[in-house]
This record gives sequence, structure tokens and C-alpha cells, in this order.
Amino acid sequence: MHPTRGSRRAGTAALLVCFSVVAAACGGEDSEDDTAFGEDADATVRAEGETLDVWIMEGTNPDAGPFFEDVEAAFTEETGAELNVQFVPWGSAHDQFVNSIAGGTTPDVAEVGTTWTSEFADAGALVDMTGQVEGAGLDGTYVEGLVEAGTYEEGLYGVPWYAGVRSIVYRTDVFEAAGVEPPTTWEELVEVGTTLKEHDPEMIPFPVSNAAFPYLSFVWGAGGDVAELDGETWTATLDSPEALEGTQFYTDLALEHDLSTPAASTWDEAALRDAFAQGDAAMIVSGSWTPGSIIEANPDLEGKIGAFPIPGKDGGLAPSFLGGSHLGVFETAENPDLAWSFVRMMSTGEFAEQWGEESGFFPGTGELLEQIASEDDPLVAPFATQMNEAGASLPVTPLYGQIEGAQIIPAMLQSILSEKVTAEEGLGQANDEMNEIFGS
Amino acid sequence: MSKAAVRSTGTDPSGPEQSGPDGGDPPRRSRRTGIRTGARQADHLAITRRRPWLLLTPAFIVLGVLLLWPMIRVVTLSFQDFGLRELVRGDAELVGLDNFTRVLTDRLLWQVALPNTLVFAAVCVVLTVGIGTLVALLLNQMTGVWRSLLLTAIMAAWAIPAVTGTYVWIYLFDARSGFLTGVLEYVGLVDTATTNLFTERLWFFAIATLNVVHHGFPFVAVTVLAGLMTVPKELMEAAEIDGAGPVKRFFFVTAPVLKPVFAVVTILSTIWDFKVFTQIYLMPGGDGANREVLNLGTWSYVSAMGQNQYGLGAAIAVLLTLLLLAVTVVYLRTLFKEEEL
Repeated sequence: MHPTRGSRRAGTAALLVCFSVVAAACGGEDSEDDTAFGEDADATVRAEGETLDVWIMEGTNPDAGPFFEDVEAAFTEETGAELNVQFVPWGSAHDQFVNSIAGGTTPDVAEVGTTWTSEFADAGALVDMTGQVEGAGLDGTYVEGLVEAGTYEEGLYGVPWYAGVRSIVYRTDVFEAAGVEPPTTWEELVEVGTTLKEHDPEMIPFPVSNAAFPYLSFVWGAGGDVAELDGETWTATLDSPEALEGTQFYTDLALEHDLSTPAASTWDEAALRDAFAQGDAAMIVSGSWTPGSIIEANPDLEGKIGAFPIPGKDGGLAPSFLGGSHLGVFETAENPDLAWSFVRMMSTGEFAEQWGEESGFFPGTGELLEQIASEDDPLVAPFATQMNEAGASLPVTPLYGQIEGAQIIPAMLQSILSEKVTAEEGLGQANDEMNEIFGS
Repeated sequence: MSKAAVRSTGTDPSGPEQSGPDGGDPPRRSRRTGIRTGARQADHLAITRRRPWLLLTPAFIVLGVLLLWPMIRVVTLSFQDFGLRELVRGDAELVGLDNFTRVLTDRLLWQVALPNTLVFAAVCVVLTVGIGTLVALLLNQMTGVWRSLLLTAIMAAWAIPAVTGTYVWIYLFDARSGFLTGVLEYVGLVDTATTNLFTERLWFFAIATLNVVHHGFPFVAVTVLAGLMTVPKELMEAAEIDGAGPVKRFFFVTAPVLKPVFAVVTILSTIWDFKVFTQIYLMPGGDGANREVLNLGTWSYVSAMGQNQYGLGAAIAVLLTLLLLAVTVVYLRTLFKEEEL
């Protein structure tokens, strides 16, 4: 009849039921047994005949197959164990993690999105790796923002693997034709946009969408922030004058200066990229990992796109969210030492470097990052600068996951962009909703 | 009376002879064989009495595992503070009616989700059943190749998965380059320079309605067609001879005969249209980014599942079930008179 109608909901309900059955089944059992690491974090582990199950997100590296064949060969050589890598699509990864956490079928090691790490750590699904990182002399080598995101209640649950940051990707040919240079202040951004619009009215100079990450750069750029930590509790700060200034400017790009299109108000970041790849937009806020896929989608743009860091209000750089992935070891890992040797192998040295080169992401260690920033690739250097000088982080608390789940920021932007509320009203509502979740 | 008699024979092996008609049969047989003692008669009785239950046991076990147990769990969950942490550790705190209070005091529920759901479901059900019936009547008139062609076309609409279908409608109404948006602009209904159809509540639901009705009417058409084929030809001929036109024949002959069929398709459509999730969630802004277009399905997902608050989600599920039960009961009551039920 209607097998798919409401299937997502039905699926969720079924999921809920599965959870509850499983939870009831495991209830009372000793889920507290700590997965223990061996004494020496630097030791070579030999584990012939064992298999290490690993989940890696799909699509980060367009050519991940051959990469992991190399990793597998090196891993087997070092430890004697087999490596079983499964690729999981980003879109369904969170559900799959939650499912497997509930069913006790988590892999030994997995790539975990940086905003999920504290959530899974809070749930008790991940192993604290502080001791291992210190033992192997790796503390202090990882990129600070990623360590912060992987830390939960003073334990390191996610080892930084790679990172990405958003900057503005633009069409060099269009800029050239209109005779403009990449803007370095907000005022210039408006001027450049207006000139582009006059030059080619069909093209959207700067689509303003309801996606949270591009928007947040403007809040940070005006000196505002999402929330601040006061003792143990977070308090939303979107009602600050700085946040209002940033929000007003960002939404006015569409409403006042007409640099966007009404359609863009419901675009997510993928839709922004699609519009850019189709040649409909001149500038978009986009990740360091995206130019490759944009060119792949439309080979005509080869050599016609560039990047510049998101300008701050009066010059300088506006901070941009430092996203990326951690490697986490799950409580269910049979041989934690074997799991750790995989994490160490992936997050440092040769494989971390190669992964960064192939995926367009930056390695999670400071040393490798500096090396990349010094190579002057026009599609890489601006992002590296942005990451080094202006990487920003969101509140590291499982509660922020709830705020994302409740779509508070996209909902606010949507209602401002469709002129149902003013920026001030929208921010006030969003601020209240966030505080309700923060419990402050 | 007879039940009481059976029960009394079962517990009292000494007096099977005094039992009623149900209990009387086995002793008569035992007299015929002539070798059973009182105790053995009682055993035999007990087995006979339990046999139906024994035969039903497998079905009950399956139902219990698949239906009853999950339902009990969902109800239990709805009284607990249950999140990801509880999922892993297995212990959950009882919070009484907290989840229900939170659900029922949510401004979004009363001002947005519920009205959207009710109006949307009502419109969709009326259109789905209406169009489905008209198409069924058309199909019933057709024969041969044309009928097969139309049936195939209908089946195609039905066979498209909801996700695919929804994306097709989204493309057709794309705010910048959609074909139907272009048509609407051409006739002067929208101005794409200033409006995004998907951010307007009415347009959003108009598009969702098209999608849901397009996907739902084939089921109604096929079911009603099956019913139409069972309407006795004699009735129609008699009505025609009595001078009834096609409209009268439909309302006074076909419709009463098909009443049970209409009852089924309407109830099923109501339940489906109440629970619509995919078609709304996938539309631009439907995932919670546009608060104005939340319906019960997306609202509960965004406020509970999207935030790993499974206790809250369970409370919503319980309330939704009760609501649908109430709707169904009221509908059935008004449709059939007491004695017909």
C-alpha cells in the first residue's frame, strides 16, 4: 500500500522499540567494565589472527579505497592483525552510531564527527585515551581546537584526525570580468557584491542561506558568540549587541542589498555548493574540502575558482568553525591496544599527511598543518590561514547536539530571511530556546 | 452460563454429569468407551477445554512479542527520562508525567503542529478519496487496452517511493528554476524575485498535498474499483429502469453497497495522512528549519528524536496513538449504526 509513507517515522519508532528492548536486556548488567589499555602506549602490538573493525565516513576522500588498502597492508605488517574497514555515509552515520551503541555492536575504532564526540562520551560509549596520548608523547602535537572538541570532562575521547574550516570560495573569472578584488572588510563585501550584481544581474553575488556554519562566522566576526561557559552551565549569548550586528549584516546582504535570492533561504550547504557548481553564484561560504568536489561536478570551473578567508568587520579575519573528525575507540573494543595502534598510525605521520592531501582536509597535528600553510596553493593556503589564525569552536557539550537537533539557528535565519520577524526578535527567541536546553 | 458450566466441571472432577450442554459431551463419550475413571475424564476434559487456547498460543506469542511488548515498552518509556546515556547504561529515571506535561505545554504543538496536521490530513483525505473514487468510476467504465493503460499509469504513481516522489515535486516547484514555479509566475500567481514558495505556509502545504494525494489516490482507486465490480448488475439495471440518472445511481445504489469499502479507505487514508513524515521532512525547510510548517510527525522528530530524547518521543507516540484511536472510533460510530458493528 504505502510502504514508504512515514517510513522515516516508522523507522524511528522501530528504532526506539529496538533501543528499549535492548536497553531492557542489558539493563543491570555490568556495563561499567572499563576497557583497559596496556601499560606502554608506544609499544608495538602483535595480534595475529585478530580483526580490527573500523568505520570510516564515506565521501571525505573521493579515493578512499586505495588509501585504505595501503593502510591495511601497513597495519597487518605492524601488528599481524587484519583490518576490516566499513564506509558509512555521513547522512546516516549518527543514526548508525546510536543504533550500534544501543545494540552493543559498535566497531572497535571509528571516525567520529567532532560535534558528536562529547555526546557519545557522555553516553559512555567511548574510551578515554588521555593516558595513551600522553604515554606516546603526543600531547601538545594536535591542533588545539580539535583537542578541545574531543575533550569531555577532562578526558580525551576523540583523537584529532583531520580538520576542515570554511572560507569564501569565489569565481575568479567573474571577479576579473567585473574588475573587483576579494573583499577584506564587510563594507567591501557589500561593494563587491553590488558591483557583481550590476555586472551580471542573473548571477547571485552571495547567496544567504539558513545554514548555521556560514552564518556563525558573521556573529564571530562582529565579536559575538553563541554561548559562554559560566562555571558548569552554558548561557546563550545570541542576544548580545555584537551578535545582533553580525546577524543584521548577514541577513541584510539578502534583504537590504539584494545580493541573494529568496530561494537561497531554504538552501543547506550542499545546495549552496550545487548553485555555485552550476555557475549560479559568484561567492559562497564553503569548506576547504569542497573545491575538489565542485570541480568534479562541473569540470568547466577548473582554474576559475579561488578562495579567500572570511573578512572580519573592519578587516582581519572572521573566525570560522573548525570542524572535522576524531578517531574514537569504543568501549566494545576487544583489544584496546590494537585499536590504539591503529589510531596512532592514522592520526600521525605519513598516513595523516596523505589523507589530508587526498581529501582536501587538514591533518590534525600542528606540525603538518604549518607545512601545508607554507605551500602556496591558491585553493589551500587561504583555508590554512583561516584555520591557523581564525578557527572557532562551538560549545563542547552534548547539549549543543540537542540545539543542532532542534534546528534553532536555521529556524531563526529562515524566519528573519522571510521577513516574518526582525533580526532582534529572531535572536531573542533563539536565545531563549537555547537557554531552555542549556538549563540556564 | 455455558462458560460457568465448563469452568465448574473443570475444577470439580467428581460431578461432570451435572454440567451443562458444553460439559455434557465428553462424559457421554466416556460412557460409550466405558473404561475412563473420573480422574481420567477430568484430564480429557481439561485438554478439550484448553485445546483452542493451545492452538492460539503461537499466534498470541507472536502478537505479544511484536505488538504487546513494544507497546508496553513505549508506554513505560513515556514515563522515563530516557536519552542516549540511558540507552547505553540501561537505567532510566522515572519522571512521572513530566514528558506529557512538556509535550502538552509546547506552544508549537497547539499553534503550529496540530492545526497543520489536522487541516492537512482533512484536505488530503477528502481529495484522496474523492479523486480515487472518480478514477475508479472511470476505470469501471473503460475496457480493454485503455483500462490497462490507465491502470498502469496509476500503478506507476503508486509505485514511486515517497522519497523519490517528493524530490520530483521539489524540483518541479524549485524556487528559481522549477517548471511549475515558472508556470505560476507566468500566470502571475507568484513573483520569484521576492518569494520562495517553500517558505510560505500555504504554498508549502499545497505542494505537500499534491504530493501526498498523487501518491495516495491509486490505492483508493484500485480498492474502490474492486468494490464497484461487486455491485450487482441487476441493481443498476433496476435503478435505470426506474429512471435514475448516473448521479442518482451512484449515490443511491453504488455508495450504499460500497459503504464498507469507503470506511476502510477513509480510515486508512486518515491514519496515513496524519502520520505523514517523509513528504514534509524532505521539503526545503520541512526538517524543522521552518517552524511554521511543522506537522505532528516532523515536530515530534525535531523535538524528541533529533535531540535523543526518547522518553519525550515515546510520550508523543502514545498521545498520537490515542488521538488516532479516538478519530477512528468516532468515525466508525458515525458511519455505521450500532447494530451493524
